[in-house]
Amino acid sequence: MGHTLLISGPPGCGKTTWICQRLQAHRGPRAYLRLGGFGDEGQQQARDGGIDAAVLQDRVDNLLDLANPDHALAPRPDNLLALIEVPQFQPPSASGPDGIDRRLIPALDAHHLVPDAHLHFGRDRELPAQDTLDFRRLESWWHNLSGTVWDPASLSSFWFELVNGAYGDVYRAKALFNLPDGRGFFFNWMVSQSGSQFEPLTAVAPPQGRPARLSRLVVQGKALASGGIETTLSDCLLSDAALELQQAALRLPVPQPSAAS
Amino acid sequence: MTHAVMSCLHANLAALEAVLADIDQLGITTITCLGDLVGYGPQPNEVVELVRERAIPSCQGCWDEDIIEGLNSCECSYPSQLAERRGHLAHQWTADQLSEANKVFLASLPMTLRRDRLLFVHGSPNSQHEYLLPDMDAFAALERVETAGADTLFCGHTHRPYVRDLRDGSIRVRIQSSTDHTSPAERQMPLPVRRIINAGSVGEPRHGNTNATYVIHDEETGSVEIREVPYDLERTCQAIVEAGLPPVFAWRLSQGFEYAERADDASHVCER
Amino acid sequence: MARWALVSGLQGELEVYEAIQRDLRQVGRVDTLFVLGNLIGPDRDANALLDRLQSPRRGELQPQCIYGWWEDQLLAERAFRGDRRADALRLSQGEAAVDALLQAVDPGHLQWLAALQFGFIELDCALLHGSSADVGDSLNTGSSPLLLLDRLTRMDVNRLFTARSGEQFSVDLTGGGIDSHVRDLEGERQLQQVVPQRKVIGIGSGLHYTLYDPGSDRIEFRTLDQQPGSRGRGFA
Repeated sequence: MGHTLLISGPPGCGKTTWICQRLQAHRGPRAYLRLGGFGDEGQQQARDGGIDAAVLQDRVDNLLDLANPDHALAPRPDNLLALIEVPQFQPPSASGPDGIDRRLIPALDAHHLVPDAHLHFGRDRELPAQDTLDFRRLESWWHNLSGTVWDPASLSSFWFELVNGAYGDVYRAKALFNLPDGRGFFFNWMVSQSGSQFEPLTAVAPPQGRPARLSRLVVQGKALASGGIETTLSDCLLSDAALELQQAALRLPVPQPSAAS
Repeated sequence: MTHAVMSCLHANLAALEAVLADIDQLGITTITCLGDLVGYGPQPNEVVELVRERAIPSCQGCWDEDIIEGLNSCECSYPSQLAERRGHLAHQWTADQLSEANKVFLASLPMTLRRDRLLFVHGSPNSQHEYLLPDMDAFAALERVETAGADTLFCGHTHRPYVRDLRDGSIRVRIQSSTDHTSPAERQMPLPVRRIINAGSVGEPRHGNTNATYVIHDEETGSVEIREVPYDLERTCQAIVEAGLPPVFAWRLSQGFEYAERADDASHVCER
Repeated sequence: MARWALVSGLQGELEVYEAIQRDLRQVGRVDTLFVLGNLIGPDRDANALLDRLQSPRRGELQPQCIYGWWEDQLLAERAFRGDRRADALRLSQGEAAVDALLQAVDPGHLQWLAALQFGFIELDCALLHGSSADVGDSLNTGSSPLLLLDRLTRMDVNRLFTARSGEQFSVDLTGGGIDSHVRDLEGERQLQQVVPQRKVIGIGSGLHYTLYDPGSDRIEFRTLDQQPGSRGRGFA
């Protein structure tokens, strides 16, 4: 007998972190699905674009991706823990599965999912206390970074500027970034938390060209200067020639004797 | 005699006006400028013209040199691709804006100024690009002042003002030479007492807040006062945006950060 | 641990180079030969030596070369150093010396010379012609200890091998310190620093060369007689 839980909450409240811990602790088959939420008045939902799923796939061994129709429609193994993540600003109207936003039903049906329970951040005590700010208007901006690789020092400057307000009042930022040495990093920042999370993905690509993994930046906030972000991005991303230069140095053993200048 | 020393104006007119007003109000008439009149900021012509009008003796900073000579600062002075691209953009913009007369003036600036045993430079006596940070190796710092034949060295370039006294130094050595087959000679060399005074930055402060900084030095008593001067930051930020420079420059200035970070390697010597 | 041989100032003298190679075979236990610049000079044709350095004979140690002051002057005059020309040479020894230097080296060697590095870092040692400040920096026993310490600090090394002065010497920094007091907008602080145990070694020039054992830190200055086949004299 399996267990299917729907977890909802506003952006940045810690849904994915909690889900990751639950999945890692479960001794049995595990599955995950992220459904897009619905933007309420003045609040735009972020296009996650697969960042959460990619991070969980990296962290949880043999995680079934229910966004994949083959997994969604296959017979469910015994003792499966299926967790469904939904961003949702407002608390549900009713407790238990009855409180599930009606608009989600078609998507759940399509994936053959019937949640046994619905937990919402800020309402249900099983979840950590919600610590988010109330933004009346929330804009969302995202950028597909697939195939891009960052100059590491530039990335550090850009992220610092981003979360400190250089490009508008940022409420939430999360991203998957590629570095020249083949590592992928999950960057996560929330205005109410102190500091950013910088977590390397377990899977490391060889330092050879551009990795194929998902790469994306998602920002939510107010008065976002998307043009400014894009200008800075283009100044931070490595050209083919610059990337090859950095990677060639990583591929080579240290030359002997080494030159002083 | 009490005199004022300022540095790194970086085309920030509001900040320069505020600092000059502060100096005037203290009744100080001798002012020395340690270069970087232009670069990043929105009013290069206005700042150069004000320095010329007030006839303030200045040495040449790395920005002043690069605007004249073409961009040739070594790339290792930029810690990131982002900083380098922003530096190049600011360089191009400034070079396009500056009048010929002001370029000629910047080209005429000397690398160093000397008054008795006081030496004035932008970065270090070795190079306009070298940083003398407050915590750099004390022997290396002393070597810069001593080799230049000065008692007190005034510098800028780091955008963080400080006063550093180097004293009670000595080095013991054992010398062996192939021409002298006797046992090695031991020698103790007492080191001279020297001082480095960094004037901070008028136009691009980086000391933790947005106030312009400069220093006042009393030659008789040796006392040094690091002055902090608030200025109309909003005016400069608005001018940055109106000039078409990247708005992130205005944000960085308003936070007390440099427009583009520079490498913090004090011992780095550009070998271009 | 195998030793290094440190040579400089050959100035085109193939016979001197051959004498050193012979001596190295005799003294043994040397696995690396560093030639710290001044392969060429204005006084004689350097082409035969440059050929040999690029194509060592069987049984000879392969030389690891860097450029020195004379190569720098030649490369500058031949426009390999941007706008700079051999002005230092012109000023000190006149136009004739510049001409003689140009005559001494076949243009076919220029690419190889231009590819030579400024120095090597091996373990905690810098192997340079002059110093970290400049290829023409002449360090010797009369140099200020403060200056020597600065040159070591700039490369962040414990041993600096230099050739520019042509002298064989060792200056060991054995003690001392300095106090500094810093005041800034955050407050005041006192810093004390001691002199690190470092040394500067002059390797000599021509027939005067140096052996160094990085394992024991032992230095041996060697001097060869001019006659072919004669044994060298060394002292440590």
